[in-house]
Amino acid sequence: MSKARDALLNPIVNENPITLQVLGICSALAITNSLRSALVMSLALTSVLAFSNMAISLIRRHLPDSVRIIVQMTVITTGVIVVDQILKSYAPDTARTLSVFIGLIVTNCIVLGRAEAFATKHGVGMSFLDGIGNGLGYSVVLIVVAIIRELLGTGGLIGQPILPLAEEGGWFQPNLMFLLPPSAFFIIGFLIWGVRSWKTAQVETPDYRPLTRAETGAD
Amino acid sequence: MNNDSTLKALLVVGLTALFCSVVVTTTAVTLQPIQRAYQDLERNRVLVGIAGLADSAAALSDREVVSLFQELDARVVNLDTGAYDDSVSADNLDGAASATDPDASVAIPPDQDIATIGRRARRVAIYVVPRADGIERMILPVYGQGMWSTLYGFIALDADLNTIVGITFYEQAETAGIGDQILRADWQAEWTGKKLYDAEGTLRFRVSNQAVDPQSPEADYHVDAISGATVTTDAVSNLVAYWLGEHGFQPFIDSLRERTDDDVQSP
Repeated sequence: MSKARDALLNPIVNENPITLQVLGICSALAITNSLRSALVMSLALTSVLAFSNMAISLIRRHLPDSVRIIVQMTVITTGVIVVDQILKSYAPDTARTLSVFIGLIVTNCIVLGRAEAFATKHGVGMSFLDGIGNGLGYSVVLIVVAIIRELLGTGGLIGQPILPLAEEGGWFQPNLMFLLPPSAFFIIGFLIWGVRSWKTAQVETPDYRPLTRAETGAD
Repeated sequence: MNNDSTLKALLVVGLTALFCSVVVTTTAVTLQPIQRAYQDLERNRVLVGIAGLADSAAALSDREVVSLFQELDARVVNLDTGAYDDSVSADNLDGAASATDPDASVAIPPDQDIATIGRRARRVAIYVVPRADGIERMILPVYGQGMWSTLYGFIALDADLNTIVGITFYEQAETAGIGDQILRADWQAEWTGKKLYDAEGTLRFRVSNQAVDPQSPEADYHVDAISGATVTTDAVSNLVAYWLGEHGFQPFIDSLRERTDDDVQSP
């Protein structure tokens, strides 16, 4: 049972796909300027991930090595198209704001990464939990970044005003930089720093270190 | 069977592809009516906006769009005869289907096909904003080939059926940031008050990149093209020229205007 719990909960902080593996950054930068988009994107990615992990795990014993990536991509693309169609039917406005980013889940490294690293080696149930878990890990980061960006960038959340705006007589001056993609870089950077200061096991050993003056042989 | 044999690889790829295509097709076909209804709603939202029934059509709720749309008088025009055709209801006219149906459409002679659309429907639904003593505005559907996509829109005419009230597009896929500038409110606002036909009834209106002196009479028939979006703005000019020209709505507009002129003179 604890293995199942690990598969589900570990990706949330300990093996978070964004902060530890630094995957799926492109969409995390692009769509986190509003909480609503972040929530829909999280839901979309989690469903695709759970579905593709399950489907790939189901056929893992029959996957020929030579074409396994192609088959995995086909399954993932199917999931993405289905999710895209559902969004276009039931949440058309949000689908329009997310525009290409739903389609780009196909190329999201997290999805193919989990399919290749986990689903091809584990059972259907575990793969499903792993998909949900990684989806949650992605969602947690997206939602945290989106809350910071939308709150500081507009003074509200999901379009509802929270902080009194300066132009309406309050004290809060929205910082428009938070609505632009670079701010997400900084926020995710600070998040990664925070998580790694807390869980020091995640700190990577440097690939190289600068030579000291003595080692270079210079005087 | 050995997983790495060619046969197995082909089999797995084939079966996956088959299964996935069935899933995708089923989803697309099942959800199509819902998406179509939404597209119609967005089209009607644009229509209600250009009809002047709402200050900000984008802010309307879906329900308001539906009820405002009911206020419009939808009529069917037979473009071949240039007259109203009340034998069909506008609600039952499927514009997209009749534009390609060989029985319901005519091929456009190549020399007249300036909007590059090949065929056009014989019967077209138009929308009239009614007023106690006649019409307030008339809204005509127009479309034509742009740079990448077909541009679908509406052009609204004032009661004199010569003055443009506005133009708008509800479906296009032109270059983002360049061609799609045709949706910009300030560019569309330039159309307001421009004239289509001169005193002889010739279609003079053009969108062009030629400089026109705002004092000259020519300025009444001219809207400036958008810099950098030459192909798209030419396409807009061409689709207006086609749909308001002799093969499009001009015979219909002429017959209505004659009738109005008579009305004015008779009392």
